[in-house]
Amino acid sequence: MVWIQKNWLLRRVRGGSNLLTVVPYLKKGVERMASHRPASGTRLGRRGQEPQAASVALPAPSAGLARRIKRHWPFYLFILPGILYFIIFHYWPMYGIRIAFYDFGYFGIKEFIGLENFRELFRNIYFGRAFRNTIIISAGQSLLGICAAIVLSLLLNEVRSVGFKRSVQTIVYLPHFLSWVVVASIFTLLLSPRTGIVNNAIRLLGGKPIGFLTSEAWWRPVYFLCALWKESGWGTVVFLAALSNIDPQLYDSAWIDGAGRLAQTRYITLPSMAPIVIVVAMLHMAQFFNLFQSVFVLYNPLVYEVSDVLGTLVYRKGIQGGDFDFATAVGLFRSVISLVLVLGINWLGKRIRGESVL
Amino acid sequence: MSRACKGFGPWKVRQLEGGAAGKGMIVEKFSLRKEHRARTLFVIGNTLFLLFVALFVVIPVLRVIADSLDENAAVGVLRLIPEAWTVTAYRLILSQRALYRPFLISVFVTVTGTFLALSLTTMLAYGLIHKEMPGRKLFVYVILITMIFRAGLIPTYMVIRSLGILNTLLPVLMGPCVNAFYFILMMNFFRTIPRDFAEAAQVEGAGQLQIFLRIILPLAKPGLAAIGLFYAVMYWNDFFSYIIYINDSKLWNFQVILRDMVLESETAMPRLDASQTAPESLKNAVIIVAIIPVGILYPFLQKYFVKGINLGGVKG
Repeated sequence: MVWIQKNWLLRRVRGGSNLLTVVPYLKKGVERMASHRPASGTRLGRRGQEPQAASVALPAPSAGLARRIKRHWPFYLFILPGILYFIIFHYWPMYGIRIAFYDFGYFGIKEFIGLENFRELFRNIYFGRAFRNTIIISAGQSLLGICAAIVLSLLLNEVRSVGFKRSVQTIVYLPHFLSWVVVASIFTLLLSPRTGIVNNAIRLLGGKPIGFLTSEAWWRPVYFLCALWKESGWGTVVFLAALSNIDPQLYDSAWIDGAGRLAQTRYITLPSMAPIVIVVAMLHMAQFFNLFQSVFVLYNPLVYEVSDVLGTLVYRKGIQGGDFDFATAVGLFRSVISLVLVLGINWLGKRIRGESVL
Repeated sequence: MSRACKGFGPWKVRQLEGGAAGKGMIVEKFSLRKEHRARTLFVIGNTLFLLFVALFVVIPVLRVIADSLDENAAVGVLRLIPEAWTVTAYRLILSQRALYRPFLISVFVTVTGTFLALSLTTMLAYGLIHKEMPGRKLFVYVILITMIFRAGLIPTYMVIRSLGILNTLLPVLMGPCVNAFYFILMMNFFRTIPRDFAEAAQVEGAGQLQIFLRIILPLAKPGLAAIGLFYAVMYWNDFFSYIIYINDSKLWNFQVILRDMVLESETAMPRLDASQTAPESLKNAVIIVAIIPVGILYPFLQKYFVKGINLGGVKG
């Protein structure tokens, strides 16, 4: 029983048990954020009272608006730079979106042409191709990433040796912090037809070297491999944190009821993971159409057919080609679909789980 | 009881497989040894698989390290240990202006950017935790909306252009300097600080700025450290802002040079002096130099993430 207690304690103490206390902030938006106080961080809560907001003695709610503004004037100064940042770098550009509805030359706005840019866009074969590629690549990447993370975290969760578990976790998680340029560089060198280790092996076995990144058949598998290499560790760590929060008593009672390991995984572990999996899926959805950097560093003109996505199309058309109105229209299309997707998933999540993720 | 005992129980109640629910339960005697053997097999298989996964992650990096130190880098071989050791590639990085300047720019942008981002984010977050402040909700929404709707690349580019700061480091520093997720995180962190401290200081006659700098920030150090780390990694890894806003190769950072050298290799190499090191080892060394700072920060990054402080990490 001593071992059991130790095991239980370790489950509690290790492995980021606080992650689940953080995620709820995502869930209920501003209302919740305003009222929720995290359970942790009470180190300063003297006299056993609830820790309170660090604001200074405030007037009663009944105080007049002018008086309340006056009481808070230093805080308006505090937020001024940040709010200015959001206005300049986020809201001013939103005003700029209007050029999607104009004919735009190099010297500025020429005339209002309504939806003409969008008509052009839907006629454009490159747009269709980019749209299709975005969906395939994004969906594939998210699905593979989430599945890999679920499997890895379940397997890691079965490991009893703390040291081994820790080491594997540490190793798999590292690539998450490397930039896409670094990841692409590593794999470009490894897969290089001239000098890469993979093609060296193929040559040794008597085969012909393969240009992995320049072949339409190979590009997507290689891309998915890079994405898995970089991101599956992150999902694994998130899910593991959720797993370590499962009450061990559940397993005990399941065992007494005769549930084997598989049944326990099926009926306890997986359902307990479901909420965090949904949150992660939701975050993937929010990034669904933002696909850019990862593709940009790995693709090349030879494989545009299978790799060109909306983000890269906007970059080539707009920044490189100077076709601002068309590129803005593509960008706006992308943002709107993205927004619809996020709100839709949020609505769905609310339906399924009874609470909103946003 | 715990999971430790599972699989060792000699008796097991089992629902009949395929049978309708409640049709019948049978008590079945299990062979203790058989169960035990299955478990052992699983443990061995599991360990091997996880080892394989870890190797899959590590080997590419090992290979790059090895090649960066090898005079005959990557000449038709499978080795993971250099054949002829040399540090010429690293010496070259330190001596070539075209290589060490981008590194210094990376360092400069990372340090300045992190400071800027931390100041803006903390001030914004501290300013917006006061519930009674009129307009507070509006401001919070202004920030949160940008999480789900973005203007997009071109409109942002045009704003930068009309501000006249193309081809400077300003858009690189300021473009990503408040992250809405880190803002939420910081706000939650400030909420955990009891307001007594600030009240006491106010009674003593301290101004709000003084309270913020002398009392709140020191108490929020763990949160600052976490967010600072993530901002630092973000600035260090950035290459996207450079290729969009900066044409002048003198202002490029290390990531852009790395991309130039490895991913579009033919164009960058002629800029360097001819040397005895094969370009291969130089390419690999550049990758390693781009990884090293992240590697140094990694233990801290991991610690903060695992502690659950990192909400931004959840964003991915």
